[in-house]
Amino acid sequence: MSGRGNRSPLIRGGVADVKQAARGFRWGRRSQVPRSAEPFVPEATSTVFRSDWSRRKPAIVAREAVQKAGLEPLFRSQVRTSVRGLDVFDGLKGPVIFAANHASHLDTPLVLLSLPDAWRRRTAVAAAADYFFDTWWRAVGSSVLFNTFPIDRRGGAMAQTPGEVLDEGWSLLIFPEGTRSPDGWMHNFRMGAAMLAHTHGVPVVPIAHQGTFAAMPRGRNWPAPGRRLLTIRFGAPISPRRDETVREFAARVKDAIAALLDEETSTWWESQRRVASGSTPDPEGPQVAQWRRLWDQTEPLADEPEDRVFAWSRRK
Amino acid sequence: MSRPGFVLEVDDRTPPLLVHEGLGFRMEDFPLGTRVVYPPESLPTVPDVDEAIREALLNPTDSDPLPALLKAGMKLTIAFDDVSLTLPTMRAPDVRQRIIEQVLTMAAAAGVDDVELISANAFHRRLTTTELEHIVGERVFRSFYGQGLLTNHDAEDHDNLAFMGKTEKDEHVVMNKRAAESDLLVYVNITLVPMEGGHKSVGVGLSAYNSLRHHHNNDTMVHSTSFMDPPNSELHASAWRMGRLIGEHVKVFQIETSVDNNVFPKPYDFFMKREWEWSVRDQASMLAVRRGLSVAPQRLRHKIFHDLRAPYGITGVNAGAVEPVHEKTIAKVYEQQAVEVQGQSDVLVMGVPYLGPYNVNSSMNPVLATCMGLGYYFNSYRGAPVVRRGGAVILYHPLDEGFNQLHHPSYVDFYEEVLAETTDPAVIGQKYEQQFADDPWYIHLYRTSNAYHGVHPFYMWYWAAHAMDHVDDVIWVGGNRRAAARMGFRAASTLLDALEMASDTVGPSPSITYLHNPPHLIADVTP
Repeated sequence: MSGRGNRSPLIRGGVADVKQAARGFRWGRRSQVPRSAEPFVPEATSTVFRSDWSRRKPAIVAREAVQKAGLEPLFRSQVRTSVRGLDVFDGLKGPVIFAANHASHLDTPLVLLSLPDAWRRRTAVAAAADYFFDTWWRAVGSSVLFNTFPIDRRGGAMAQTPGEVLDEGWSLLIFPEGTRSPDGWMHNFRMGAAMLAHTHGVPVVPIAHQGTFAAMPRGRNWPAPGRRLLTIRFGAPISPRRDETVREFAARVKDAIAALLDEETSTWWESQRRVASGSTPDPEGPQVAQWRRLWDQTEPLADEPEDRVFAWSRRK
Repeated sequence: MSRPGFVLEVDDRTPPLLVHEGLGFRMEDFPLGTRVVYPPESLPTVPDVDEAIREALLNPTDSDPLPALLKAGMKLTIAFDDVSLTLPTMRAPDVRQRIIEQVLTMAAAAGVDDVELISANAFHRRLTTTELEHIVGERVFRSFYGQGLLTNHDAEDHDNLAFMGKTEKDEHVVMNKRAAESDLLVYVNITLVPMEGGHKSVGVGLSAYNSLRHHHNNDTMVHSTSFMDPPNSELHASAWRMGRLIGEHVKVFQIETSVDNNVFPKPYDFFMKREWEWSVRDQASMLAVRRGLSVAPQRLRHKIFHDLRAPYGITGVNAGAVEPVHEKTIAKVYEQQAVEVQGQSDVLVMGVPYLGPYNVNSSMNPVLATCMGLGYYFNSYRGAPVVRRGGAVILYHPLDEGFNQLHHPSYVDFYEEVLAETTDPAVIGQKYEQQFADDPWYIHLYRTSNAYHGVHPFYMWYWAAHAMDHVDDVIWVGGNRRAAARMGFRAASTLLDALEMASDTVGPSPSITYLHNPPHLIADVTP
């Protein structure tokens, strides 16, 4: 047997079958339901795999090795990052809740790999139970790699609640939007992060990042070529006030992220003045045609001039 | 909770869809916008089959309980559906066995000595002993077969046929004499599709040519729209007239059963699943089965498929008077199989599987493939055909299995001689039917061997008459070109080629509907 032309019908047909199946059944990607079949999809079963093991010593050691030897080199080979606001960690004691806008699967590694190592090692990531914990291999993979724990987006009970993880001294990374933005702009916040901060008396560290939607939006499973720039900015921790409701606090967290996003395109001083005057740009973006919203968010971030000096910044 | 059937519209998210084609299947990428009709999932089955049978026999519909009908000294005949049901053959124990055993237990308790069992095979081939034993079970087979009390109905044994009279439409009614002269005729049925059961059980299964010719003909079938919808079926209207006439002379205790949609056993259960819900295991099974079939010789592929035993569950058991029992049964069958479809399409696509009622343990020859596609599947509708008048039908089958000389001897002559002259069912019926019906050699083979009756291929062609009358183009994807041409059709290599060929009839951008069966479905079409 040599050469493509001599391959037997068994192999030739097998290759064609595998190619068709790989394409049609979206191997390596999440399967999709035809739109007209969506009303007939059965209720998802509540099989959620446990993840508490991933916060024990052996898993922590394994994760450190995987993140530093595998994830970080791979991540940095595909994208560049610009990290600002690391000064917020000076004197800050955990646990805290990191609340960030959510536009891509790159968000989690971006946040984790931007954290100081000591904080990164003690941070767990809230992940949708129906997405990351529906199969054992996905649950194990995400838990080992990112220290994820399941949260139910539909409000069901989990084996281990976020509050318990928090009580064990772990900081939490939560994306309050609950899902990746379909257009890169920020969307409505759910109450979970604010509620946890409120009930457990921990501060929220707002995080704003940009560029992940342009680099790897929904539907892509690998970053766009060209080592695109991602920016991330940590804000000063904020705590619920004594007389503040959860809803009001959630709005304040969102405003803090909006101010950080504003700061990204201007300066800290200008953004603070706009906060004071109530003229911070709406992080949900302008109400214009969808293509214009997408167009705006898919523009690659421009590199900053080399001579501009930032305090507490890190570039890789 | 079983999900209902539904109509999928193929979009960019739709994976390739499974299409049966004889002793194999292919994964087809349908054009965007194609409608695909999926059957409902299996209904809940009765929790205890034996208890359900007992309940039906003791509390029948519009009849005294069976034990009250059984008396010492009486003549009891038990007739049952033959090997053409179920498809595929039901995994043992067959529900007919379970029913017959309970009937016989009650008969023994009542002191009935004169009992005979008859397979109601009309013009179908005689069942082999293995097939009979599978249906009635080892205990019944051992008790009756050796004494000649478990037999196949012989529609050419004129000494043992009884003339029952004529219907108001002047139709002759002839039936098995033993059954006709019995004090009680118990009929054990499986209603797999809505065509079966009711008065068709006795009126057709135990009859003979002089009766069958009144409804098994081109004219009746063209006006059976469809034969899966008894109220609109001339075939059934005729059978019902005959059945009612029989009922005036013979006490018939009808026992009917319905089954769920659990057609294929593991690892072939992916055949029944919706493709976008296939697990990794299902996809691996599909690839493995396809590769295995691609290298397996025809004989092995035949064995692989024909050895499958269906794990059907029983959704209902009803007993009593024929018509009210059948109403209950048919309601359950429609509940299991009916799918609402809005509007007709220009093209109807169907995959003809390896099995039909007439090639159990045999070959799906081109005539039977036509009967399966243009007969059974095309007629699986209520309201209006899925394809518009003047549209096109695209069928998948290789048409390469040839003819089984033991089972289908007259098919060979029908194919080589009759179809070579004309494919028009009306002309065929007028010119050639009588000759085949009376042929002594075919009659001899039917009576003494395991051959279908000489006239049977004509009936298969009539079964497709409504479709041939309704559509303007029939194209077989992957079909043998000579075989397709002999039958007046065309063959194409791929679906796209077939659509290209059909564009002369339906234009370049036709609406397409694919019936995703088996499991069986009935399209409730709103024109």
